[in-house]
Amino acid sequence: MTTSTSLAPGQPVNTQQELRQRTLLGDAARRFARNKLALVGLFIVTALILTAIFADFIAPFPYDAADPVNALQFPSREHWMGTDEVGRDVYSRIVYGTRISLAVGLGVMAIALIIGIPLGLIAGLAGGPLDYIIMRVVEVFTAIPALMLALLLISVFGGGLYNVILALGIVAWLDACRLLRAQLLSLRERDFVLAAQTVGASKVRIAIRHLLPNAVAPLIVAVTIGIPVAIFAEAGLSFLGLGVNDPIPSWGKMVGNSLSYMRVYWYLGVFPTLAIAFTMLGFTFFGDGLRDAFDVSTNS
Amino acid sequence: MRRTHAPSFTRNALWLTLLLLVALLIQACAPAGPAAPAAEQGAAPEAAAPGEPVKNALGKELPADAAPLDQQVLVFPYSGWKTFTTVDFFQAVYERADALSDILSDSLVRLDKDFQPNPGAATEWSVDDSGLVWTFKLDPNLMWNDGTPVTADDYVATFQYGADPAHAWDFSWYYQGVIKNWTQSVNGEVTPQEIGVRAVDANTLEFTTETPAPFLPAMLVYSNTMQKRALEEHGGFYNSDPATSVSAGPYKLVEWTKDQRLVYEINEQYKGTNIPYIQRLVVTNIGQPSQLLPAYEANEIDFVNGGGTLSPADFEIIAADPALNEQYHPHYGDFRTYYFAFDNTQPPFDNPLVREAFAHVLDRDAITANILKRQGIPAYSFLAPGFPASNSAAFAETWPLDVEKAKQLLAEAGYPDGEGFPKLTLKLRSEGPAPTAVAQAYASALKDTLGIDVEVTNMDFKAYMDEMNAKPTQMQFTLISYGMDYLDPSNMLGVFLSGGRHPWSNADYDALVKEASAFLGDPGERTQMFQDAEKILVDDAAFVFAYHQTPGDMIKPYLKGPSLEPDANGVAAWHWPGFSSFSDLLSGVYISNDVSDYRQAPN
Amino acid sequence: MARYLLGRFAGILIVFFIVSVVVFLLMHAIPGGPYNEDKVPLSPEAKANYMRKYGLDRPLVEQYVLYMGNALRGDFGVPFQSPTETVTGLIARTWPVSASLGFAALLVAIPLGLLLGIIAATRQNTWLDYAASATSTLGLTVPNFVVAVWLVLLFAVQLKWLPTGGWGEWYHYIMPVVALALAPMALTARYTRTSILEVSRSDFIRTARAKGLSGRQIMTRHTLRNALIPLITVLGPQIPNLITGTIFIESIFRVPGLGKFFVTSILGRDYPMIMALLLLVAVVWSVVYLITDILYTIVDPRVRLGKSKS
Repeated sequence: MTTSTSLAPGQPVNTQQELRQRTLLGDAARRFARNKLALVGLFIVTALILTAIFADFIAPFPYDAADPVNALQFPSREHWMGTDEVGRDVYSRIVYGTRISLAVGLGVMAIALIIGIPLGLIAGLAGGPLDYIIMRVVEVFTAIPALMLALLLISVFGGGLYNVILALGIVAWLDACRLLRAQLLSLRERDFVLAAQTVGASKVRIAIRHLLPNAVAPLIVAVTIGIPVAIFAEAGLSFLGLGVNDPIPSWGKMVGNSLSYMRVYWYLGVFPTLAIAFTMLGFTFFGDGLRDAFDVSTNS
Repeated sequence: MRRTHAPSFTRNALWLTLLLLVALLIQACAPAGPAAPAAEQGAAPEAAAPGEPVKNALGKELPADAAPLDQQVLVFPYSGWKTFTTVDFFQAVYERADALSDILSDSLVRLDKDFQPNPGAATEWSVDDSGLVWTFKLDPNLMWNDGTPVTADDYVATFQYGADPAHAWDFSWYYQGVIKNWTQSVNGEVTPQEIGVRAVDANTLEFTTETPAPFLPAMLVYSNTMQKRALEEHGGFYNSDPATSVSAGPYKLVEWTKDQRLVYEINEQYKGTNIPYIQRLVVTNIGQPSQLLPAYEANEIDFVNGGGTLSPADFEIIAADPALNEQYHPHYGDFRTYYFAFDNTQPPFDNPLVREAFAHVLDRDAITANILKRQGIPAYSFLAPGFPASNSAAFAETWPLDVEKAKQLLAEAGYPDGEGFPKLTLKLRSEGPAPTAVAQAYASALKDTLGIDVEVTNMDFKAYMDEMNAKPTQMQFTLISYGMDYLDPSNMLGVFLSGGRHPWSNADYDALVKEASAFLGDPGERTQMFQDAEKILVDDAAFVFAYHQTPGDMIKPYLKGPSLEPDANGVAAWHWPGFSSFSDLLSGVYISNDVSDYRQAPN
Repeated sequence: MARYLLGRFAGILIVFFIVSVVVFLLMHAIPGGPYNEDKVPLSPEAKANYMRKYGLDRPLVEQYVLYMGNALRGDFGVPFQSPTETVTGLIARTWPVSASLGFAALLVAIPLGLLLGIIAATRQNTWLDYAASATSTLGLTVPNFVVAVWLVLLFAVQLKWLPTGGWGEWYHYIMPVVALALAPMALTARYTRTSILEVSRSDFIRTARAKGLSGRQIMTRHTLRNALIPLITVLGPQIPNLITGTIFIESIFRVPGLGKFFVTSILGRDYPMIMALLLLVAVVWSVVYLITDILYTIVDPRVRLGKSKS
């Protein structure tokens, strides 16, 4: 398993360092390619992104073209996944919904990481008063229930896609921050860090070279879980009438709306639920694959 | 400590378990008899010999096919997230425990199922020659169940409570401009004691109106009195707790478990004339509207109020099941009309051409045939067919579906193919599936035919009303509804008067509606004035009338009685205002013995 | 440890203070007021009276000081949406309902999740792993309100085994607990699997294996113990959410719990209720967080609380 040469961490040998990183990337790619599930995940994620980009070419109908005469048609050759309560093609709406759901999922997680990683790093590394202050801030935000905070923010600033993403992002950064800090707390006592310290490596250097890569795996898992969580949170808000507006096709909203139709028009709920499930599976497998591939701890 | 306590606790628990077991055994061995509530009323004459008619606690004889008294229980659902706080109209209309409220006293006037006003707590009434002063004679027999008589003072105190600005009653607008000094009192300009409601003597009540109001008796359907003494001692919520609740109506409150259920029992001391069959009313919480039909099918509730709560899927299930289909009873609801409204004080809707273009795009037939199905009929104007002064057919061709015309009008208005037209948000007031779908269909049609981008958002009720009521209004484009409060065009058409719900304002319209409302002459002439007013409303395309709601309710087949027989229009349903003492419908329903095929006596 | 705990309590007090200020400002920034205007606007006089009655006409700072003063004396006011009871009374009648449901769900979710996670990790890349992963994925991909509706249709309408909803009997717990437990179970399973795989590749496990310890001994003594850290981090914040109720599940199953008030208090601008709920969750959360931190030291002695390396 250990393919790289056993270098003392932090040793200032630049050429060897580069070499080591190149092999690391190569190893990762090779390991990733050997993992079937990871490839499936990669495939799904790629497919999702392509669908989002080329939705105009894939979807047979516009997402907002109502046709009351053909409302609530069961799946047929023309409408693969049926039509909704005003006669819009469900398949087309799901295809376009990829854009919205990816925007919500990725947007929320991006905001979460942008806020969460720096704060988590500082808290986990600096310790002392800085850690204390950051953790109090995290506590303040965590102590306010997510749904309630999002509701408060949306009530103050108004709904719509961008505000929903922003509100959910502001709620979601806590997990990333706490996870990173906890991981660092645990890691910083480990042998290889102690070793680096003995060698005299600076704090920042240890953080970036050794601690962060080691903490990446759980973060990736958190992100892959966070994406569907964000998609769901958006569904919950839509369920309460505070999410994305119609006719913008969000899967979460489609699932929420389908509740009163489910007993008869099952396809209205099943297909968007499947879309969410596939997205979740894709990101999960992909995330797991990445984690296994970049498993830095095996190199230390 | 723990060690010494533990054994004794265990021993106690053992004893308890044993006791419980014995109790259960006794319970199991006892012969199946009438359930506890009925058994408690030892003196009640339900122990009648077979063949003899059974009478309930108020001495009302039950029909031959009625179920035993312990099964004379009606289980009625309510849905939604609200925590109800009152059962009194004059406390808070929108916080009442849904339809089964206002039964703890009689209103002055009672409607029958053909909407005719009949004596309620008032035995007779008359108006003087000026048309301004009304005298209502109270039924002298009425008693509170604390043994005191119901007097005109109770009614006066109730109306003063409603007009008191400190109370901030959510329905205070209702009597504004009708009862003398009501508006001034609500605005804090005069004291509530100065409103035009006065006790002449213990059994005579006098109303003075601002202008002649021939519709006052119909309006006074909402006049359930509260008790003056309880109001003074405990405040307006005295009926929210069985301990302080006092009743002069056919039922009394016996249980209120917040967010779960309310239970009423027949009031043995009731001295009025609205005598019911049913012994016990249970109002139970069904959280989500989508769970109403499942609970109904599981025989957990006897009734589903279909207005806006049943979904298209529910209707599909009902239509596919002959038994359920027979239990579906369509009716008028509250003559509710859904309409699209614009802010015509601001661009782009200040341009009549734009409004006319919008009016020509609505495909009412497609919407009613494919989306609403049984829940609505096309609306070309505001007053639904069957409502007094309705002139629906005359407006059918004012704004027909005409896409070419609409495009042309929009181009004339300066927005060819929607170019330069602002993006719109069509706002809804926390609506159910059907109106939401209608709004979506219209939004899509606007995009397809006129090239106008419309987003639809179903808002939270309060947030919506805040935007609606803001001055100037923030509601640019909306789908909203209005249903009547009393059966007179003055009520329905009053919503479009200047300074009301919408920014639309038309002096001719205001003059006509106000004059007609107070008109004492020939009823035909009065109707004509209302119809002229409605013509102004429709011709101006200030609003696009979409559909009249025709709700239907699910009623279990074991509910029977004169109230459920067809009315003068052939409608066989338990319709407005049928669940309170505003009408005699509740007292005309009983549980037949078919009930044993469906459920046990509920507790 | 005592000093650490004291510091933490001071921290909790600071958190309370900041939460109360932040929320107070946020909720008063929401447009509109708490009065009912369902059909026609209230008269300005009536509105003014209403505001006066609840002290809403005073400056915000004064309102805040007044509220906190009363709150410290145990008086949390009267909920606007249910003026016939006190905020304390409302929480006392609804919270135990939500809490019992939440704890029941945790009791189901954690053991099942651990089991699924361990199975998936120890049988990595076998059909057992896939089956366990699929089960847990289901919990994370299907919103619990959808599961709830399915449960009602299946068990209440189709099979008629259970009532469609209600509260007061033991069987009323079954469907809401299942719907509630799915997500935390899935989360537990997923993090357990990930952490076990992570830990089992680390040096000390390899050392243990080299020492000749059996697979089971390694699992119970070393792997599981170390794998619990991220799990605690992730599961901790779920607990306050679970035991303070959820609007979707409670409204579908007619559970008279606290959940709906998190939404209705904001929609109804019910200021006293919003404040009380947030302070309540802050308390619950602080307790859970404290326990989480203490748990870290138990499962991983290398984590030293409140001490930085320098």
